[in-house]
Amino acid sequence: MPHPSTGRRARRARRSRVAWIGWLFALPAVVMYATFVLRPLLLTVQYSFYDWNGIGSSTWVGLANYGRLVTDPELFATIGHAFELILFFSLIPVLLGLFVAATIRGIARSRLATVARTVLFLPQVIPLVAAGIMWSWLLSSTGLANELLSAVGLGRLTRAWLGEFGTALPAVGIIGAWVLVGLCTLLLLAGMSKIDPALYEAARLDGAGPVREFASITLPSLRQEIGVCVTVTVIAALASFDIVYIATQGGPGNSTMVPGLEIYYLAFSEREVGMASALAVALVILVLACVIPLQRFARDAR
Amino acid sequence: MIVSRREVMTGRVLLVLLMAVTVIPFVSLFVTALHPAGTYPSGLSWPENPQWGNFADAFRVAKMGQLLLSSGLIVLGVVPISLLLGTMAGFAFGHLRVPGHKIGFVVFLLGLTLPFEGIITPLYYQIRDMGLLNTRWAIILPLIGLFMPFSVVWMRAHFVTMPDEVSEAARIDGAGTWQLFWRVHLPLATPALSSLAILLFLWTWNQFLLAIVLVDDPAKRTMAGALGAFQGQWGTDIPLLCAGALLILVPTLSIFLIFQRRFVAALLQGSIKG
Amino acid sequence: MAHRSPGRRLFAALTLTGLLASAACSAPGSDSGSTETDASAAPVTSATCGTGPVTLKGYFETGFPLPKNLSDEFTKQFPNVKWDIREDQFAVITQNAPRVLTDDPPDLMRLPQVSELVKDGLLKNLDGYAQAFGWDKWPASQLEQMRVSSTGERGDGPLSAMGLNFSMTGVFYNKKLATQIGMTQPPATLAEFDTVLQKAKDAGLVPINQFNGGATGGLAFPLQNLMAAYGDPAAINQWIFQKSGATIDTPTNLQATQHLEKWLKAGFFAPDINSQDYATMMSRFIGGKNLFIFDGDWESGNLDKQMAGNVGFFLMPSAQAGGKRAAMSAPLTYGISSKAKNADCAAFFLNWVATNQQARDIAVEVGGSHPMGPADAYMPEVAKDTVTASTLAAGATIGQDNGAMDFIANATGAIYAKGWTPQLQKLAAGQQKPDALLKSVQKDYESQVKD
Repeated sequence: MPHPSTGRRARRARRSRVAWIGWLFALPAVVMYATFVLRPLLLTVQYSFYDWNGIGSSTWVGLANYGRLVTDPELFATIGHAFELILFFSLIPVLLGLFVAATIRGIARSRLATVARTVLFLPQVIPLVAAGIMWSWLLSSTGLANELLSAVGLGRLTRAWLGEFGTALPAVGIIGAWVLVGLCTLLLLAGMSKIDPALYEAARLDGAGPVREFASITLPSLRQEIGVCVTVTVIAALASFDIVYIATQGGPGNSTMVPGLEIYYLAFSEREVGMASALAVALVILVLACVIPLQRFARDAR
Repeated sequence: MIVSRREVMTGRVLLVLLMAVTVIPFVSLFVTALHPAGTYPSGLSWPENPQWGNFADAFRVAKMGQLLLSSGLIVLGVVPISLLLGTMAGFAFGHLRVPGHKIGFVVFLLGLTLPFEGIITPLYYQIRDMGLLNTRWAIILPLIGLFMPFSVVWMRAHFVTMPDEVSEAARIDGAGTWQLFWRVHLPLATPALSSLAILLFLWTWNQFLLAIVLVDDPAKRTMAGALGAFQGQWGTDIPLLCAGALLILVPTLSIFLIFQRRFVAALLQGSIKG
Repeated sequence: MAHRSPGRRLFAALTLTGLLASAACSAPGSDSGSTETDASAAPVTSATCGTGPVTLKGYFETGFPLPKNLSDEFTKQFPNVKWDIREDQFAVITQNAPRVLTDDPPDLMRLPQVSELVKDGLLKNLDGYAQAFGWDKWPASQLEQMRVSSTGERGDGPLSAMGLNFSMTGVFYNKKLATQIGMTQPPATLAEFDTVLQKAKDAGLVPINQFNGGATGGLAFPLQNLMAAYGDPAAINQWIFQKSGATIDTPTNLQATQHLEKWLKAGFFAPDINSQDYATMMSRFIGGKNLFIFDGDWESGNLDKQMAGNVGFFLMPSAQAGGKRAAMSAPLTYGISSKAKNADCAAFFLNWVATNQQARDIAVEVGGSHPMGPADAYMPEVAKDTVTASTLAAGATIGQDNGAMDFIANATGAIYAKGWTPQLQKLAAGQQKPDALLKSVQKDYESQVKD
């Protein structure tokens, strides 16, 4: 009669052998990920401690590149611009999305809403480059934006939106907002459709208006969806590249220079690979520093 | 649900307004594309004499045929492999729960938010040293790597929900791990896979940074990268640029309109899980 | 998801990445010494395109038909040569130059500033070809700007690039609008120019359109013209050629920058110059929307076609009456990558451009500028009342006054994108002061030259 514990041990041993074989399944993914993501990521960290022009030999400079990052106002400003873009890429789409979703909640199943689902997704489907091209044209001095302003008697406000210091960054932000507002609206609407209608019925019977209804029922139930919207849009703002590259190339006078574009310029046109890498490390850390707390916030909701 | 008439009306108006704002840039692009080449049309004016020929010109100068082929090849290189590798790893982490699967998962999770700019510099030198610069592989291979975090996390989320009983039944029938994966689990994963496929297709097609850094020849780039090159070359001719941009949008837009339900569902889920 | 011990898992993950790190620990670039190329010129006895099929890989600037027309004509004469041409805007070429020359070497490329490219050994030394083809017997001033010493100083040293022609810049004006405000003669002094601008402004015209948007700081054109009106063009050239101790921050340059600021404040430029790209400027000028543009003779052919009889050209007047004239005049620089596959054929093409009769016709008719080549070489006939004739004549004046300068935007590879463009955009927006502008550009220049 076999001892019960040996039987269990044998089974566990077989299971663990099978289990280790399971790593073979993960191996190809791990190899690709390690080769084309982790290795370059670590090299970015390594390059950031060197002064290298990408062609000749390199010199170890320690933390000097990071020092320059925080002391050179032009470089540091790129990070400020990225944060300013968050206002447009995140705040506007989320607030507008909340407002619209709450307003159209009642007609979420109508024919119009079905069409809207498709239409509002269009900006998500096209390349950001295309969005950049369309909007540079709309916002140009002879573009539609100015024409509309003139038509409603605000002709004195017309300007080259992407060409003036005061308006270029907000104009870039508006392009981002346009891309993201549909996604946020639909995400939030999907979230709202999961809320138990009985809650609303009860609120109405208590005589609550739309505003109170929104504040006491809708908003608290949407914590996870809001977390998702904010996360996605914050990453889009911090890592923005395509739109700025097409619409302003960082100009006028660096007023729309963002970290992603500055990394590209530094690495490939000014050939300051070390400095580019230091900025890249800063960007990666920045994104994580913003996203991890947001994830906490969204997860806690569950 | 109790909804007042006024609320319904405001909802409709708001929705139509939002849709208008979404669509107007496309309309403007279209109208501008019809103006005579080389002019600077202002605003949304319908041309006296629509130049439909601009589209033909743009098709020719942009070498649209080549671009479609190139983007198609890149998608064919990226999407099936990413799906397979992502599913296998998701299966290992989510279902087999291999020893250390949590660590493995966290390592992938870390890559989920990584901005591509964060690794583009060393990636350039790595691809150059591999001798792959200016080939489609320069986009395909890194994209597979970069899509791994999302693919693995996505597929793991699917496999975590698969009850162990499914596998135990197959094991009793004598299935090996590979058969278990290929015969039993892969068919069950089709819905998750097809959504993932849509997302990966879209992200590959629209990939810009890798294309402009790693491939100089627009005919070997993705659509978005080619559009960037097109803007570089023809950006001085607004109607032609608009016509070219529209043409470049046609394939994605038509695929989107055909599969719109799947697309919308995939994108919504994609952001939730991502 | 169970959160048992996130700390331990994170630690394990970090360990794993640490292991990966140890796989890549040598300093970057330490093994890439092989990219250094031989800086001395190989003796060349003859360079041709042979008779077998050759595909020349070109990288040209978009928006300018000259190189395309020349390459087409070349293929007509030498049918074995085909072209594979990529085009980009100049700012993009500037960004891409080092990368493309190293990793995707073209046979023939439109070049931005060459100093750093030479220092890094990315360009073929053309001295061998110069001897073989007799370029060294041309007027030395034609090639001076493309000679670079090993330290990156320009002006003498091995020849590292060639021109398709050499251009001349100044002020183009719309004759109809000029008559409208009573300008019958081009202004002879800077003060007269100011008066004309004011008149145009008062008449409700847009006096000047100038591209200054995105990555293109086109205010550098009027600025450098003003610098030469106030000061000595030779000193500006010293700075551009990276001669040691040269500075842009001089009293006369400050006067020039202040003068430009005065023009900006007076509203002599269109209000949206910071979003104008080059093509917008051209289209507006051709459309008769403004009186002046600061531009070069590469547009002469185009303007003669699109504004026939209605366009004039003058050199920037100097500050004093009868003072010497100066202008930016630079070769339309093309170079051959040190790794080019068909260097001989590319050099043969460059020589053909300067010496072939049809090519010289194209250089003048399409390019609008003076062709390269021997002083007594064939020159096509140009109708007298065209702007092409005026710009060619202006070239002669500049030759007499010894007033040719390279562009201040060409001092270093990054000075245009990183220095002039943002600074001039700030000046245009009233966010930068003239003295601070010059100091800032000088600081960028010094750090770039040192590297």
